[in-house]
Formats: sequence, C-alpha cells, structure tokens
Amino acid sequence: MISIILFILTILLAPLFSAIILKVKAFIGGKKGQPILINYYNLIKLFRDKSSVYSNSTTFVFRLGVIISFAVMVTVFMFFPFGGMKSIFYFNGDMIFLVYLMGLGRFFTIIAALDTGSSFEGMGASREAFFSILAELTLFLVFIFIYNTTGYLSFSKMLSITDNTNLWQMYGASLILVVIAVFLISLTENSRIPVDDPTTHLELTMIHEVMVLDHSGPELGFIHLGANMKLMFYSALIARLIIPFDLGNLVINVLVFYVIVALIYILIGIVESIMARFRFTKIPKYILTSFALAFFANIIVLGRLK
Amino acid sequence: MISLSHIMLSIILLSLIFALNSSRLKILITVMFLQGILVSIAPVFLGEEISTTFALFTVITLIVKGILIPLLLMNVLNKVKMKKEIEPIIGYNFSMFIALFIIVISAYLGNEIHFPVGGNLLGITAIATILAGMFLLVSRRKTITQIIGYLMMENGIYLIGITLSTKSRYIVEFGMLLDILVGVMIMVIVLQQINITFHNINSSKLKNLKE
Amino acid sequence: MAELVILIPIIAGIVALLIKKEYGRWLLPITGLIHALIFVFIWTGRVIPLFEGFVMIKPEGLLVLGLTSYLFVMISIYSISYLKEEKMENEKLFVSSMLFFLASMSSVTIANNLIVFWISVEATSLTSAPLIYIHKTKTALEATWKYVLICSVGIALALLGTFLIAIARDKAGLNIDLTFSELEKVAMFLNKDWLRIGFIFVLVGYGTKMGLAPMHTWLPDAHSEAPSPASALLSGALLNTAFLGIFKTSKILHLADIGNFSDVSLIILGLLSTFIAAIFILKQYDYKRMLAYSSIENMGIIAFGIGIGGIAAYGAIFHLIHHSLIKSSLFLSAGNVLMSFKTKLIDKVGNVVKFLPKTAIVLFAGFIGIAGFPPFGLFFSELFIILGAFRKGAYISVTIFIFSLILIFAGFAKYMIKILFGKEEVEPEIGENRWRVYPQYILLITSLVLCYVQFDQISNIMTSAVVIFGGR
Repeated sequence: MISIILFILTILLAPLFSAIILKVKAFIGGKKGQPILINYYNLIKLFRDKSSVYSNSTTFVFRLGVIISFAVMVTVFMFFPFGGMKSIFYFNGDMIFLVYLMGLGRFFTIIAALDTGSSFEGMGASREAFFSILAELTLFLVFIFIYNTTGYLSFSKMLSITDNTNLWQMYGASLILVVIAVFLISLTENSRIPVDDPTTHLELTMIHEVMVLDHSGPELGFIHLGANMKLMFYSALIARLIIPFDLGNLVINVLVFYVIVALIYILIGIVESIMARFRFTKIPKYILTSFALAFFANIIVLGRLK
Repeated sequence: MISLSHIMLSIILLSLIFALNSSRLKILITVMFLQGILVSIAPVFLGEEISTTFALFTVITLIVKGILIPLLLMNVLNKVKMKKEIEPIIGYNFSMFIALFIIVISAYLGNEIHFPVGGNLLGITAIATILAGMFLLVSRRKTITQIIGYLMMENGIYLIGITLSTKSRYIVEFGMLLDILVGVMIMVIVLQQINITFHNINSSKLKNLKE
Repeated sequence: MAELVILIPIIAGIVALLIKKEYGRWLLPITGLIHALIFVFIWTGRVIPLFEGFVMIKPEGLLVLGLTSYLFVMISIYSISYLKEEKMENEKLFVSSMLFFLASMSSVTIANNLIVFWISVEATSLTSAPLIYIHKTKTALEATWKYVLICSVGIALALLGTFLIAIARDKAGLNIDLTFSELEKVAMFLNKDWLRIGFIFVLVGYGTKMGLAPMHTWLPDAHSEAPSPASALLSGALLNTAFLGIFKTSKILHLADIGNFSDVSLIILGLLSTFIAAIFILKQYDYKRMLAYSSIENMGIIAFGIGIGGIAAYGAIFHLIHHSLIKSSLFLSAGNVLMSFKTKLIDKVGNVVKFLPKTAIVLFAGFIGIAGFPPFGLFFSELFIILGAFRKGAYISVTIFIFSLILIFAGFAKYMIKILFGKEEVEPEIGENRWRVYPQYILLITSLVLCYVQFDQISNIMTSAVVIFGGR
C-alpha cells in the first residue's frame, strides 16, 4: 500500500524537483526565474492539445519511441524502493533487468529519432549511443560494487532499510567514490551540463534534446515527464546510497529521502551554473574518470586493499 | 573502521590515476605536491613513536619533498612556458587503463609479498607509485614529465623505506633527501639548457647520438 | 682520520671555485698528491676511520681507492697542460667538479653503511654531470641529459634494492646496522627470498652506473662527450666504484649460501655486455665512442669473471686494475689526438705516427694492452677468467666470451690502424707536449710492472677480496 502511494507521489513530484534546478540556476544568475510549478503548467498545456502533429516522413516507430520510453520509466519506478520502503515489485537480479530496460527505452528513442529522417536527429542519436555505451561500463561497475558489499542484486533489497545499516562504516571510502561516480553518470545520462546543455537549441550542440525535436503535443508531454522521472531515478539512487539505513519512523524516512533528493537536485543546479559544457572530445575522458573511480572503489572493496 | 593512513594511501593511489590521465603539466605538478606532502607525513600515521628527531625529520622531508621540489618544477615550467604534453607515445585514455592495471597488479603483488610494516595497503601503494613513475618516464616525450616520473619513483621507494627499522635512520634518510634534491636541481638546470639550445623540451629531438 | 680522503678534495673543490683559474689548475695535482698520501697512510694502517659505523676500510675498497688516487694524480698532471692549451670556457667549474668527483668516488670506496654507499654513488653521478656538459654543445647536452636521467633512475632502483635487503634483515628479526660488515656476519640468517629480490634491483641499479648491458645506453654518449681527462676518470675510476656495490652485495649472497643466484645473474649480464659491446664496436665513427664501448666490454668481462668465481674472480680483479690503467691512458692519448686534429671522427684523423709520434707510441701500446695481448695485464686476466670458466664447465658461456673478445679485437684493430697509420684528412694544428704524454707512459708502465712484480700488499688485497668467491 505504502509502496503504491510512494510510487504515485514520486511520479507526481518528479517535475517539481526538476523545476528546482531551474530555480537554482536562476537564483545564481541573480534572476527570479520561472515559477516552481512551471513544469506542471507545461505538462497541462501539452496534454490539453487534442493530438500531436506528425511529420510525413515518420512511421509508427516514431510514436512507438515515446510510448516505450515512458512505459519503461514507469516500470522502473515500480521497482525502486523510494524512501527505503518496499517497492511494488522486486525480484533478484532486477537491477540488471532495469538497466537494460532503460537501454531498451533509449534504443527506441534513438530509432524514433532516426525515423524522422532528419540529419540533426541522426547526429544526436549517434552521440547519445556513444556516450551511453561508456556510461554503462561505470554503471555496471557500481552494481558490481553493490553486489560485493551487500550481496544482493535487487534494488529493493540492497537499497531498502531492512538489512544494510552499516554500509558506510564498512566501506566508507569506497562508497564516497561510488556516489561521485554515479553522480557523474547521472549528469551524462540525463543530458545535464557538463555533458549536454538542456537549454541549448542549436542543433549542432544538442545530444538528447535533438532527438526529441520533432515531437509535439501530448507525446512531448510524456517525453518531458519521462525525462523528469529518469533524473528522479538517478537522484533517488544516489540518495539511497548516501543514506542506506533506517531512521526509525516511516514519515521521517520518507521525508529525509525527499530532502536529500532535493539537495541533489540543488547540487545539479549549482554544477550547471558553474560549469560550461565540455567539448565533445573531452566527454569520453570525463566518463572514463567516473569509470576509474568506480573501478578503484571496487578494488578497495574486493578486499585487495586492506 | 577507516583509518587515516588508509585514506591517505588511497588518495595517493587515486592521484596516480589522475596523473597518468592528464595532458596538462600543471596537473602533474599538483599531483607531485600532493604526493610529496602525503608521503612525507605517512610515517606519522603508521604508528611510530614520536620523538623530537622524528618530528624534526618529518618536517624537513615535508618541506623538501612536498614544497621545495614541486616548487622548483613549477618555476621551470613557467620559465619554459610549456603548458601541455605533446603527442605522448601512449595515449591518455589508454594510460588511464594502464594506471588501473598497475593498481591491480600492485594489489596482487602487495598481497603476496608481505611487507613488515604498515599492512598491505602501504606495500600496494608503494609498488603502484614506483610502477606509475616508471610508466610516465617511458611513455612521455617531454623531459619535464620524465623528471616527474623519476620523482614519483622516488616517492614510491621512500614509502618502502618507511617500513624499515634502522637505528640511524634519520641521518641517512636526510642524506638521501639531499641527494634527490640536488639531483632534481641538476635535472632542472639541464632542462633549461635544453630549452635554450633546442627551443623546446621535447626529448624525442634528443636523438643525435645514436649508436 | 680516513674521511680526509673525502674532505680534502671537497675543500679543494670549493677553493677552486674561488681562486683564479691559472692557480686553480694546480689544485688538481696538489690535491691528488695529498689524496695519494692519505691513501698510503690508510693502507699502512696509520690512519683509521672516524665514523666507525658508516665507514670501514675493506680490501676491495682499498684497492679501488688506491687505483682512483693513482689515476687522479696522473690525470691531473695531464690536465694542467690540457687546460692551458685547450682554453676551456668554464675552467673553474671543470676543476671543482673534478675535485668533488674525486671526493664522491673516495666516499664510495670507504663507505660501509649501505645508505651512505648509495648516497655516495648518487653523488658521483651528480658531481660528474657538469663535467660532461662542459663543452656546451648540443650533443654534450643530450649526453648529459641521458646520463643524469638514466643513472638517477638506475640508482633509484639500487636504493629500492637496498631497502629490500634491509627488509631481508628485518624479516629475520635481526637488529643490526645496515652495513656491509654487519650483514656479512649474519648473512646466513637473512631472509633468502628478500635477499634475492634485493640483489636483482641492486644489480640492475648499480649495473646501470657500471655500464652493464642493457642499461649501458648512456655510457658511449657520456664518455665521448666529456673532455678527455674527465673521460679517463669516468672510465677508469667511476665504473669501478659502481662495481664495488655489486661486488659487496654479491659477497653477502655468497655468505648466505645463495651465491648461485648472484653468479648466474652476473654471468648473464656480463656476457650480454661483452657481446653487445663487441657488436657495436665493429661499426664506429668516433674514436672516443669506440673507447667507451670498450669500457662496457671490459666491465662485462669483470662481471663475468666474478660470476664464474674461483680463479676467474681473481682474474676479474686483476682485470679491473689493469683496465683502469690502460683505458685511462688511452683516453688521455685520445685527448691528444682530439686536441691536435680537432675532430672525433675516425675518418678524418690519421697518420698519428707522423704528426704525434710520442702519442702514437702510447696509443699503440694501449691498443695492444686493451686488446688483451701480452705483455700487458689484460692478457693474463682474460686467461684466468677463461681458465676458471673451463674449470667450472661453463663451456657455452666461454665460447660466447671468446667470440666477443675476438670481435672486439677485430673492431679495435681496424680503427686503430686507420688512426695510427692511415691517411688523414685534416691537418693537425697543435703539436705534442711531453706533459701530455708522460702520464700515459707512467700508467702503461705501471700496468706492465704490476703484471710481473708481485707486490705483496697488492696481491694480499686481491686475494682477500676474492676469497669468498673461492679465489686462490
């Protein structure tokens, strides 16, 4: 029961959190920025349209891209233990299942982009494919780390509060490295600076944005919501890694969870304001850095470095 | 529990990854600063009795290894006006993998060979630093990077030296420090001469004397 | 106190930096003579070390110290007229570096503490670096850089080896000083595995300084670019001091009953050095470089001899003495040729017999000596080594060894004959000077004499040095 409530709550809150980033950026820039509920207004506006506009050159694949990527994100949310409470579903090995599910979503987004026949979208699609391959390396190292430390391959088992209260005590140093690595990867996967600029509309510089250039109406709404949920997923992962234990009360657990997630969003906002986007040639190096951190954390944890 | 020495040694290991990965010479020198400082205060955290000679010696090592020598290198860098490494023999991304590989090998060796003091992590860090220094020496073309590789090797060897227990250790290590300092000074002087004569510090140009 | 052999050259070096260069020149022979005097006192036991723990007089150290001293005196006599006529740019630096160099080499020979030994060897690198760069040409710079970098890295590895040997001591739970003498006493109890690893690093490290292949790459450049008196000192004295380190460590391994390990390593590296030198000598264009490769070959022979052991070890020490004497005289004569013809290229010089007759005599005598002909000492030393190897049954090694010796003789002969009797392309400008020939004469005659007259003291030193290796 609680799981379902948390599930729906988190989906609804995802756009709100994304707006935090916009607010932080505006604040640092000395502006008032968009209202905090801007994403909701956007979504309402998009969903009110009767239907989307489709280009002549697209086929059913184009529509499929949206449906699948959104469905994937909803599924992923069903498996994730928000606030440390049990998730709706879980099974052993669901971590790998979910990552590949997201990969599936990404695949369909890419071919949907290719389906439009526009060269800009093809460009973005190829870059997207390249960077996510590298990012996947790190993500898997992080999962290996989690498996080695907690022995579980299921999100809900490893990140829930029932078992793992002493993660920090045992593996403190490596856990920091893993958290940093996941943070770097989340910036990559969610098309944030320094990997991709979400506000740029110059096609030559877009990666993710360019793939969704041709969508409109409710479909665009679903895509935005899906992107918000993805960012929420990664931030929730980091939040659970930071506080993997039980704080006693249900309400306090959930509250602390959301507060930390908000803090992570604020951090993303700060990072976006401080840095500029890296040159494309430097992005592999950036991703490899996170790979090295995760690898190093693994070596420490494997008991080799005592 | 995480002990302070573990953290320091882990930072040294991390610094190796970043040193082998970067093309900017300033980063390399920063890494040398960091390594010098950490390596010289490492004995303090390895459970040695603190006597006045010990403290004095640690401070001197800190000044020489952690401050003087990197400062010398910084000076030379500014004089010679070089910013980046050029066209290394082994590329940067691959070098990062090699750095990780070196850490894995050192972890294996360090666990098999049991150094008398400091647990396994000290031995692992020392071996990794020596190997990384040697790798830098061999795979880069700029002479200043070769000096940095040499210094890294010396740092690693110093870490192994910490595990010893000698009676008159301090005087003797002091002499070592002096030697290394003078050695680096001479290297720096030669480097400046190379810059003046050849107008760059690219060691691949030093190939007139072959067989 | 015995440490004066280190202190006095240091003081002289500092003085040389301060006074005028015309006077500074004379500091070289004066210091050399005082140094030799102190050496004789040490030898006869009238002077003893002050810092007992760090310094100790051992027979092998005494041998190298005496050799160094003697060489330095002869080279300094040569240097006076060399400096006068060569008009070197930075003479003060040259003189003071030579003196500091002498100090550091002396320090190596009497050091007992392993770390003091290491510091002294590193000091020899640093004090000789300015000597290589004196002429300030592009090639000299390149040679200096290679020298400083390769030798420093090598010596760093030797330091690692030293630490590993100290760990061998720690693992055995012994709480002794880290000195050669103490380690020899407890050698049986040292941890054998650590001792082996330590020896490998020490061998590679000090072997770099000694010129053993494959770490020899700096040697031809450095020894050919340095001015001739410095080259003579480098080839004749420095390589011996590096050898001391390997020798002493190998002794410890023998006493710890794992002498086989060190022997095999020494044989391998020794043969490799001799063979590689032989190949490179066949095609040389620069006569000083050719002499440098010959040094590599001879160091290989010495390492090989010590590795074989028995009478070959005795031969190796014999080889060490005579090689220093003959090689330094060759370098000094080469210096004469360079000064007159102003080029190092073999193609351009020739007919030395006509232009520099006295030099030609010493050059030819030196050539015969270094090629291993009787009546010079190297013949006997190589003979002993071959005999020892046959006795031990190391037939393959001996075959490679003899083959390399033949190759080297061929290469040397070809170039020497061209230099001495061939057609010259450049007319020499500066003529001879007897002060630039007498030292070589004296060196060669010393070598001759030492073959046939057995000074008791000297042979005592030699036998006591190699008794561990099963020498006669």
